Amino acid sequence: MKPAQFLPAPVAQLPWRMLFLVMAIAGFGLVVLYSAAGGSVTPWALNQGVRFGFFFAVAVALSRVPERWFRDAAFPAYALFLLLLFVVEAVGFVGKGAQRWIDLGFIRLQPSEFMKIGVVLAVARFYDLLPAGEIRRWTAIWPAGLLISVPVVLVMLQPDLGTSLMIMGGGVIVMFLAGLPLRLFVGSALAGAAAIPFAYFFLLHEYQRKRVTIFLEPEADPLGAGYHITQSKIAIGSGGVFGKGFLQGTQSHLDYLPEGHTDFVFATMAEEWGLLGGLPLILGFVLLLRWGMGVAMRAETRFGRLTAAGLTNTIFLYFSINLLMVMGLAPVVGIPLPLFSFGGSAMMTVMFCLGILMSIDRASSLSLRW
Amino acid sequence: MTALVARPERVRLAGQRHQATVVTHQRLMLIMLLFLGVTAAVVLRIGYLALFSDGAARGGAANALLPARGDIVDRNGQPLARSIDAWTIGVHPAKIIGDREEIAVRLARLMPERSAAEYLEILTSGRTFQFLRRRALPELVAAVNAIGEPGLAFDREPDRLYPQAGLGAHVLGWTDIDGHGAAGMEKVLDAALTDPARRGAPTALAIDSRVQAAMESELAAAMTSLQAIGATGVVLDVRTGELLALASLPAYNPNAAGRFALDTRFNRATMGVYELGSTFKPITVAAAMEAGVIKSLGQRYDAAHAVAVGRFRINDSHPIGRSITIPEMLIHSSNIVTARISDQMGAERMAHAFRQLGFDEPAHVELPEKGRTLWPGDWGRATIMNTGFGHGIAVTPLHLATAYATLVNGGVWRPATLMKLGPDQVPRGRRVYSEETSARMRQMLRLIVTEGTGKKAEAPGYRVGGKTGTAEKPKDGGYARKSLVSTFAAAFPMDDPRYVVIAMLDEPKGNAETFGIATAGWTAAPVVSKVVSRIGPLLGVLPDERRDVDVSDLMPLIWKAKGAR
Repeated sequence: MKPAQFLPAPVAQLPWRMLFLVMAIAGFGLVVLYSAAGGSVTPWALNQGVRFGFFFAVAVALSRVPERWFRDAAFPAYALFLLLLFVVEAVGFVGKGAQRWIDLGFIRLQPSEFMKIGVVLAVARFYDLLPAGEIRRWTAIWPAGLLISVPVVLVMLQPDLGTSLMIMGGGVIVMFLAGLPLRLFVGSALAGAAAIPFAYFFLLHEYQRKRVTIFLEPEADPLGAGYHITQSKIAIGSGGVFGKGFLQGTQSHLDYLPEGHTDFVFATMAEEWGLLGGLPLILGFVLLLRWGMGVAMRAETRFGRLTAAGLTNTIFLYFSINLLMVMGLAPVVGIPLPLFSFGGSAMMTVMFCLGILMSIDRASSLSLRW
Repeated sequence: MTALVARPERVRLAGQRHQATVVTHQRLMLIMLLFLGVTAAVVLRIGYLALFSDGAARGGAANALLPARGDIVDRNGQPLARSIDAWTIGVHPAKIIGDREEIAVRLARLMPERSAAEYLEILTSGRTFQFLRRRALPELVAAVNAIGEPGLAFDREPDRLYPQAGLGAHVLGWTDIDGHGAAGMEKVLDAALTDPARRGAPTALAIDSRVQAAMESELAAAMTSLQAIGATGVVLDVRTGELLALASLPAYNPNAAGRFALDTRFNRATMGVYELGSTFKPITVAAAMEAGVIKSLGQRYDAAHAVAVGRFRINDSHPIGRSITIPEMLIHSSNIVTARISDQMGAERMAHAFRQLGFDEPAHVELPEKGRTLWPGDWGRATIMNTGFGHGIAVTPLHLATAYATLVNGGVWRPATLMKLGPDQVPRGRRVYSEETSARMRQMLRLIVTEGTGKKAEAPGYRVGGKTGTAEKPKDGGYARKSLVSTFAAAFPMDDPRYVVIAMLDEPKGNAETFGIATAGWTAAPVVSKVVSRIGPLLGVLPDERRDVDVSDLMPLIWKAKGAR
């Protein structure tokens, strides 16, 4: 591939097709936020646009960082994030009914967001260090299990069920890719299924239990806690194939749909754009995920491979949990649609993921070239 | 030795590393399958939601504004029936928390239709749910809510409201508890009114609520002053068959049809069949003219002697005592002469004349409440003569209205309709009389009002023409002398007829104003006069004293005593 002559090499080498895809998704998100605010760039679209521009630059900068820096920083970063999680428990800021933030005055830090990446890096680093022959031994399991379970439990205590599940998912996928015996995962899945009733009654908070009940039977309480799902389904259903048209949605404009600009932004979009907006958006995410998996396939190092797949999986978890939730196929757990929902945390995490993925991609293409 | 040991070790390590990479790649593929599977689930779900979610959600705001049942309006768009959201009050006896006895007492105070004991019985019944009141007023709902008992439930349900109360009750009918038409046009139009594609727009009936109201109020006034047991009235557009008014008294209130006696729901205009008496004489005359039995209106018949047929004798109510012409026969309403004409016609031609007007089948109108006519089984000579003046054959007042429309509109019979017709929807109808016959009938009907028994039907300037009909009600195989059915069948303006107006009183008694007389000329004719004076201006018929039918060619045929007018 010959880069265009007038562009400096570092710019030309960026994976522009993927970056344009990301810009398209985020741009569509801005349009929807503009409509959700009743045809206004305030309070959401402008804010979100600036944030996207900033994190886009950060991602491009991260892509220039050599892959080995991430490898070396994996454990120290993990330790730092874990410390921050403890701090949150101690002096956390209570926002939206859950203790998740550290208020530094100028910015509110949410360490659980960083931990989504931290766990992937740390577990990938662990299996990178593990001699290949050890993979079927007990020593291949318990340290990784510990790396995953400590932050998961801490986040669960905040309480933030969705994020703790995502941290667990990110770590477990890396374990799976590292080549642990399949029966381990099958066995855990069965044990997990058996443990659900136990978790339901002893681990979950009252409001979490309620959400699960409502997920199973949303019409039981259509005006109470089942309201989110019912209104979301109405919004998507009323959009039909062609949607009601830009700025014509009633569910979000008349405030029927709660969180119509954050977690349930997909329903806001689907009401106005219908299937014609929904399917291309899903296709956009699928292409993004395909690119991420391609990076993992091409990666030369074990760390790069595991990290790339783990981070792609993190993006996938955001995307799939959010859509399943919005469509009433999963309980309401408060996971935003990355790049699309209003809010900085998820966007930051996903752009960091993309930055690291680009860095890994660059490393493998460099090694190919040389 | 050591080298031999070390080498396979290194090979094995490299092999393991390679093996690990292969496993990772395999598992990457597995994860990608998982991605695809979840994405496919999401796509299927969004497709399902977008394409098949329930109708209420799909139409959004527009559907919420669509009534559960379409409105019915009159020909001018005045609402006759509409759908509202009504409150209901119900109780879940099993869920009651408070003191049942106290609640029962308070309910009885607010809704006295049941006693406290009855309420207590409901509250202790253990049933899951029972309605206490449907279509409750908001004030009542607030008062019951103030009892503060969570077991009492309030809900909205679509309900049918008839804003004009009893107006046109028999035309509209009513809806049952599930919102489906149970009678009248509500039943006829049920499918159309509930069709989501059509119920957004109101359905227009032919009825003109102003005309209907005028007819109902005049009938009601006459019914009261003459102590009649019932009354019915029809206003029919002679050119289209549209019914501008169809009234039957006593009426009910369709808002609460169930609370009215069965008798009030009986539609006398389309369901009641009556021997309508002398109003049939013009029909007989027109048929005889068509048949060639009457070749000239100057044709004379003997009215001095009663007609004997079998063991019956046909007489006139007041003896004329000479031979008379056709116009004179109608003016004096001579039974004797009509019987002679009918006799000349014979069974076949008489039956044919009535069949052409649809007297052998239920009235032609949309309503389901239609009575079977009493059609003579045996057309013997007595039957032929009797039917000529409206005895021995019983039809509905609506039959009479369509027959009179045919008489005066140029001779074309059209079915009556309660649906408002556009200019291109008017049925062509079928020709029963020639234009010539119809023109003669217009002259003679007008003469009956100006010179004959129908003088009290005159409405100054509106050129009313029509015929009285007083019939005794059949009773125990004979006729009841005091139980009359008094009818006046009219049309106006006679020089260019637009509307037929029928008024019928069931068992009127004479009063001081009528000098104790209960015949049609004294009871039903004044109703027609008043109705025409009221509806004429509404319908755009200008009163004009200088215009009238030209009857000069018939005047020589009418004998007048010296000094009379």
